[in-house]
Amino acid sequence: MKNLKPLNQKAERVVKAAETDKMDEVRAMQTIVAGCASTLDPGWEVDPFGGVAALCQPMEADLYGCSDPCWWPAQVPDTINSYPDWNANADGAPADWRNLGTVFPSDSET
Amino acid sequence: MRNLIATTAALCLGLTALPALAKDLIVTVAKPDRLYVIDAKARSIETDCKLDFNLIPGVIVMSPDNTIAYVLADRWENVYGIELASCKTVFAAHQSEGDIKRKTIGSLAVSKDGKELYTIRNPVKILADRYEVMEPEMAVYDTSAGMEAKPVRTFPAPRRMTVMATDRKGTLYAAGHDIYAIDPKTGETTVKIPNASWDRPTYSPPDVLAFWPIGTQADEFLLLYSAAKFTDETQNELADFVWGYETVDLTTGESKIEDFASFEVIMFSAVRDPNDKTKLYGVYTQLSKHDLATKELVKRVDLPHTYYCINISSDGKELYVGGTNDDIGVYDADTLERIGEIILPSGGDMAAGTLHVISTGS
Repeated sequence: MKNLKPLNQKAERVVKAAETDKMDEVRAMQTIVAGCASTLDPGWEVDPFGGVAALCQPMEADLYGCSDPCWWPAQVPDTINSYPDWNANADGAPADWRNLGTVFPSDSET
Repeated sequence: MRNLIATTAALCLGLTALPALAKDLIVTVAKPDRLYVIDAKARSIETDCKLDFNLIPGVIVMSPDNTIAYVLADRWENVYGIELASCKTVFAAHQSEGDIKRKTIGSLAVSKDGKELYTIRNPVKILADRYEVMEPEMAVYDTSAGMEAKPVRTFPAPRRMTVMATDRKGTLYAAGHDIYAIDPKTGETTVKIPNASWDRPTYSPPDVLAFWPIGTQADEFLLLYSAAKFTDETQNELADFVWGYETVDLTTGESKIEDFASFEVIMFSAVRDPNDKTKLYGVYTQLSKHDLATKELVKRVDLPHTYYCINISSDGKELYVGGTNDDIGVYDADTLERIGEIILPSGGDMAAGTLHVISTGS
């Protein structure tokens, strides 16, 4: 953890777990990290080699494979639970991406 | 929406009692509601099922006789069994009830006698002011239960479980922090292949992407892992970053875990040649062919775009790459030359869906 700086509460908890020898309870990446509340995985910024060449090509090829399991809930709406119809008008990301919009909580959720 | 010609042809074969010609069929899904059965060699759509539910994520496991595709659908929640010959939904297990929502992150398998279906589901109680995370459980369904299937047994299960497979001795294998072996009759869970708990003091813990239950052609439960390898146990100096595979033979139950290459490109999924298990093929933005006996990269080619899921023909001569968009690429397994493609007519993304290859006829 010495090379990582926590930027949010979840990341701080991971650091605390490492400091208190509780990493068996918190593992950042082990098998797929799917589920909208459990993901700690930067995405679409850099690849494992620190560049961008090994990210999915093109980005649209990766969009649903990553949004369906809530891989990057900060960047893409949570279609598992909260916004299941976000991509209802875009069955194919390469052709239909213009139909994808921004989502906002409804009045009843605020 | 059945292909009328295919239906007629199948009926004719049945009526005349002629054995169907052996051929490989590709089974996959496309957003939001299409299940496709494709004649692999002919590169043609044989069956196009438009279903009345959302197929996402489209994790597919086949019944042992390959007549029913069981699909994890409704956004990781419910399981449906679809009869390929009729496109009829013949099995449904709705996992959530009341204020308890149960999601399954890819954990779906069918027993080798076809009588039981297994999921691992992660319940969350939806309260007015918070979510209460409950303990995960393994659920056993009777596949003959029809459209209102309820679990006939449930057992506690480890957290963060993903893909699963069954062997011929009745054991269920599931990928999580470790590769677990589960007795579906008792729920007894043991570690089959250690991952997070592996005894490799010069390695980092492995990273395993376990999304696609595709090892059926080679009759194995195979996953790739990547890990940092250090020069010694102090883990201060990196020696290599490696790819390895871990596998359970679904007939014998024997397992193996072994490094085979340096981590030079990403691979999301891999299969082995059913007739020569020294040949391993992995896919992502490149298609790679590895020789597991010599630990050599035989060949690697760039693909037109990233594909998530790979599978292989029964004779080991053709590779099929899918997932992501709406096209399946066909590659020569020897030369890795692109020799064909199949465009899904609906244009929907396969996304993280499974690409199965099944053999029919005799």
